[in-house]
Amino acid sequence: MKYRIMKLKSGFISHITDKEAILVPTSSTEFSGVVRGNKTFGAILELLKDDTDEEKIIAALGKRFDAPEELIASDVRRALSELARVGAIEE
Amino acid sequence: MTRIYRLADTNIEVSSLYNDVHTLMRGYLTESAPDFDIGMSDEDIIFEREKSEASGMGGMPDSYYETLAVLRKISERMPRYGSFLFHGSAIAVDGEAYIFTAASGVGKSTHARLWREYLKDRAFMVNDDKPFIRPGNTPLVYGSPWDGKHRLSRNVSVPVKAIALLGRSEKNYVEPISRGEALPVLIRQTYRPFDPKALEITLGLLYDLDVKFYRLYCNMEPDAAYVSYNAMKG
Repeated sequence: MKYRIMKLKSGFISHITDKEAILVPTSSTEFSGVVRGNKTFGAILELLKDDTDEEKIIAALGKRFDAPEELIASDVRRALSELARVGAIEE
Repeated sequence: MTRIYRLADTNIEVSSLYNDVHTLMRGYLTESAPDFDIGMSDEDIIFEREKSEASGMGGMPDSYYETLAVLRKISERMPRYGSFLFHGSAIAVDGEAYIFTAASGVGKSTHARLWREYLKDRAFMVNDDKPFIRPGNTPLVYGSPWDGKHRLSRNVSVPVKAIALLGRSEKNYVEPISRGEALPVLIRQTYRPFDPKALEITLGLLYDLDVKFYRLYCNMEPDAAYVSYNAMKG
């Protein structure tokens, strides 16, 4: 299966703390809300600062977090789906 | 026309095409050297006009749209100088500021007026619409020339005691909330720069904002001020 290369759009800024991660758009984007998530979400945002794909994100999180691969894959897909919904990802 | 103004402890040189913005800002003139400067162009005014028209607020003269463009350009730069523009009604009581924030039309100004009527000479408006906030060891709120339809503001800075997220309710009640709970609303009510770096700095400033946060549900009766003030004064 070939995964699509993706990256966080430049109009979105992430702020990641020990406890949570938020994604906020600049005024140049259509979406004007805030996306919040846990530290896994923060790790996904970090990885999306460079070109990557779903498979690479799942693999990177698998090395970083002690959790079943299926659970990580499910979290990643949900996060990517939400990010795509608000227009934060370019492919 | 070019003048230098001091907003939120930052000196800004403003060059404009029209004089109205200088009339608006005259209470903030300074003779100090500017920290940064901004200039206006026809494109800046067209941008504000189109934005206003899109939200049903068109039909104003270009000199008015220039005042909005000046505010936008200043707000883009302020995070780099440690402050940000906030949408809220800031009132000072006994030397400490309380800021009510909510979407337009919820009743920020009305609630602030109820406080002034209840607290009389102990209270005054820092700014009724768009104050600047500077986080830090002592978070401060500053007046600005963009002060709402009733033109209520003073060129002062006051330590911030609390920020209340305002909602309408038949019954008046107040609940303390964490900064994390308040954050989505705070971000929505804060000027979000076009410049990604400035937005990044703004988010850092919001996370540094160490004040008390409340959710405030109230009606528009005098009792609303009594309940909210006495719950928030600590």
